[in-house]
Amino acid sequence: MISIAGLRKSFGAAIVLNGIDLEIRQGEVVSVLGSSGSGKSTLIRCINGLEKIDAGKITVDNFDVSKPRELSEARKRSGTVFQLFNLYPHMTAVQNVALAPVEVLKVPRKQAEAEARELLRSVGLSERADAYPAQLSGGQRQRVGICRALAMKPSYLLLDEVTSALDPEMTAEVLSILANLAKGGTTMVFVTHEIEFARSISTRIAFLDKGQMIADLPTKEFFSDKGMALPRVAQFLSKMRKD
Amino acid sequence: MKFDLSILAKHVPFLLEGAWLTFQTCLLAVLGSLILGTLVAAARTSASPQLNRLSAVYVDIFRNIPFIVQLFFFYFGLPEIGIYIDAFTTGVIAMSIAGGAFTSDVIRSGILAIDPGIIEAAQVSGLKKSTIFRKIVMPIALRASVRPLGSVFINLILTSSILSTITLNELTGSAKIVASQTFRPFEVYFVLLVAYAALTWFVSILIGMLHRYLNRNQAEGAV
Ligand SMILES: Nc1ncnc2c1ncn2[C@@H]1O[C@H](COP(=O)(O)OP(=O)(O)OP(=O)(O)O)[C@@H](O)[C@H]1O
Ligand SMILES: [Mg+2]
Repeated sequence: MISIAGLRKSFGAAIVLNGIDLEIRQGEVVSVLGSSGSGKSTLIRCINGLEKIDAGKITVDNFDVSKPRELSEARKRSGTVFQLFNLYPHMTAVQNVALAPVEVLKVPRKQAEAEARELLRSVGLSERADAYPAQLSGGQRQRVGICRALAMKPSYLLLDEVTSALDPEMTAEVLSILANLAKGGTTMVFVTHEIEFARSISTRIAFLDKGQMIADLPTKEFFSDKGMALPRVAQFLSKMRKD
Repeated sequence: MKFDLSILAKHVPFLLEGAWLTFQTCLLAVLGSLILGTLVAAARTSASPQLNRLSAVYVDIFRNIPFIVQLFFFYFGLPEIGIYIDAFTTGVIAMSIAGGAFTSDVIRSGILAIDPGIIEAAQVSGLKKSTIFRKIVMPIALRASVRPLGSVFINLILTSSILSTITLNELTGSAKIVASQTFRPFEVYFVLLVAYAALTWFVSILIGMLHRYLNRNQAEGAV
């Protein structure tokens, strides 16, 4: 379980996350929605330890991410997929995927690369397994990014607007992979602007507004009168649907 | 006076010996600079304020003192406090230390140019700091730095001619001796001029090839 309690985070004078409580249990797909600047990326970066938190507590399977000792254990349990892919440019797709299993989990290289190829095959990239990131399309790069995260067999997948740098066709190809993962029971924290997609795969919706979690509801309820009763949510949804 | 290179014929083996010495000192100094430069660049980009300051001081000192002064200090100064090092070793050490300062600067900017997102991806996947440095940071920084490093190394080769001032008869030192023996400085130094130009030209071609080879997979759209 990922457990977030009383999380606060500021950058200088700007309070970006102001008392967040959130729990994500195994098997859940939680989509995090909210307008630009509401703190969604910062929330993800706090969970994977890229940002130091000012107050509160975040644990991943009971490992406290604020404690350097426990952070490495927490990181073994969660995988992150980035908006801009962040692949290692000097390594092939296979090498990108196999690096952490070899270095962190001490899987023998041969085995790690075989598993990497299998993962890449599962996302339709067997032909491109030995290509370098610069030789791949955006959608292909993001599929490699997803495989890189999955290679560590994480209990939780953290995804921050993983399709927003992609054109519609590539977005569709990446989203269909995520839909499969969700169906297969992968636990996900999914930051997105793809409202309809979030609705179709999420078990829950968390809505961030100015650093506060103003709604945390089962998907059905969020998109029903209950969600609409919250003015900020109603405003956000009507604006997103117009765009 | 007639321009006549043939009188140098019998001095060619001696000059080649000097060239061999130049080659050896330069190769060792390039390796030394690269190792030292990497360590110092790591220190300068590390999270430790002490290491940052220490390495910055090193770079500032050795970039701001004429090489010949550093060399004289090592070769003529140190014996006064009981440290004797032979000319060859002194030359290699002095060039490595001076070259290391410039090399670390180049590698450091290569490191700073890396997209922070790439490092973050490595961090969240649980890689250790030292692994990230070896497997991600250095390979990317070095690939980007091949050309500027090449300039540093070419400068190092040219600087090696100064070693003749501490009795090391490398290429320039040997040429000086031949010039004084033959009384034909024009021909001797003409040959020297051509030799250095050819050497640096050759090295810059090698660097260009190395750059293209290491970056062969980094062009957008290449398959
Ligand atoms: N490193 C930083 N330094 C200073 N301010 C920051 C930093 N990172 C984020 N912020 C600020 O924190 C706020 C929340 O940013 P965040 O990136 O978490 O928003 P977001 O919800 O992900 O927005 P978007 O939908 O545009 O991605 C913004 O006002 C942003 O300017
Ligand atoms: Mg964001």
